[in-house]
Amino acid sequence: MRKRVVITGIGGLCGLGADAPAIWAAMRAGRSAIGPISNPALHDIKVATGCEIRKLPEHGVERKQLVAMDRFSLLAVIAAREAALHAGLTIDETNTHRIGATIGVGVCGWEVIEENYRAILLEGKSRAGIFSVPKAMPGAPAGHVSMNLGLRGPVFGVTSACSSSNHAIASAVDQIRLGRADVMLAGGTDAPMVWGILKGWEALRVLSPDTCRPFSADRQGLVLGEGAGMAVLESYEHASARGAHILAEIAGVGFSGDASDIVAPTIDGPESAMRACLADASLNAEEIDYLNAHGTGTRANDQIETAAIKRVFGDHAYKLSVSSTKSMHAHCLGASGALELIACVMAIREGVIPPTANYREPDPECDLDITPNTAHERKVRAALSNAFAFGGTNAVLAFKAV
Amino acid sequence: MADQLATEIIDKIKEHAEAGAEEITVSTELTSLGIHSLELTEIIFDLEEKYGIEIEMNTVDAWANLKNVGDMIEAVRGLIAQKG
Repeated sequence: MRKRVVITGIGGLCGLGADAPAIWAAMRAGRSAIGPISNPALHDIKVATGCEIRKLPEHGVERKQLVAMDRFSLLAVIAAREAALHAGLTIDETNTHRIGATIGVGVCGWEVIEENYRAILLEGKSRAGIFSVPKAMPGAPAGHVSMNLGLRGPVFGVTSACSSSNHAIASAVDQIRLGRADVMLAGGTDAPMVWGILKGWEALRVLSPDTCRPFSADRQGLVLGEGAGMAVLESYEHASARGAHILAEIAGVGFSGDASDIVAPTIDGPESAMRACLADASLNAEEIDYLNAHGTGTRANDQIETAAIKRVFGDHAYKLSVSSTKSMHAHCLGASGALELIACVMAIREGVIPPTANYREPDPECDLDITPNTAHERKVRAALSNAFAFGGTNAVLAFKAV
Repeated sequence: MADQLATEIIDKIKEHAEAGAEEITVSTELTSLGIHSLELTEIIFDLEEKYGIEIEMNTVDAWANLKNVGDMIEAVRGLIAQKG
């Protein structure tokens, strides 16, 4: 029989708050943190809306480590430290080789890239910063988390654009099921409020000028945000043996590839990932009470995701509660799935469905119960969390109450 | 008394050192500065630009053996003298 994998700690930071309790409190309240971007280094960017972390919490990361980190690594370390503390995890010589980290990154550490091309091309500097390579690489957050917490088990970065977090979390589940680790820190991070990244997204013409209104007929696109989310995963046996407080179980994971287009989504891909996830979790569609949608707030995503949900859930599609928490924390790219894990775990624990904020007008193509604007109470036995991405790399997670 | 070159190099190091660290003198051990080894290399590159000296890669390796701030100052002084 395969090992059960449970969640014993969560941590995170994004525009909604500097730790997981603050993020959840804002989600419950249906408060959107999307607003004007304050970063003065954005130069000629037309996009004025985003979801920034206004102030980093006290983190105590030593200067010697800090100087080698891009912002996405620092966010990951802050979230991982919170999750490890929440889990009551003691890491020492006896268990360090049995604890690892898999961290999803959708982009990379771009602040250093930005500084370099401005310094070299505009200011006439002769060389790049010496930490350019180690700061920018997408595996850096995983490395920094392992250094900061002293984790010597499996450690690596995972990347699949907007589904990076879910792939990273699923990969952590695998490490535990395969016996390579007893405990894994897993989640995702990204800090894309940088000129070069926003300029690229601006060119795609998918960014909303006002806010993110998933499933609302008057939606105008997605909004980018920054953040990190992290969870402590461990085998049920390991968690029980150390008397850990179990928050929820990761019941299953499901993947698929669209094999279609680098940006345009399909219905088949998401459908097949959700079906694979239910099968892996041994859950019937009727047992799912909450579905945290990918819900980016683009017409293409919202309508296609709705169609895929209907195919998978049939009549039950109209009975389950759906919401897109991206309406509140925006699309934090590689961090999205991990922030949405916080929403799913807390929905199970508290019996509260976080809403889709900023909703105004019904769209006949998106006619599911998307929990408009206000949270509501509902017992959640099990929840699905969808993550789709450019590249057609779909990853769905199933959580259930323990 | 530190001369001008020493003062300049110490000031440069100070920009990278932990705030509130002990006073940096010629006898301060490089390892006690709390500066990442790559950052120390970057300080060397900055000195290279500032003083118009060239540090060969094998010279950089040799610099890895420098023990304290004074050793670093004398190495730069040597390269400036060679250039002169």
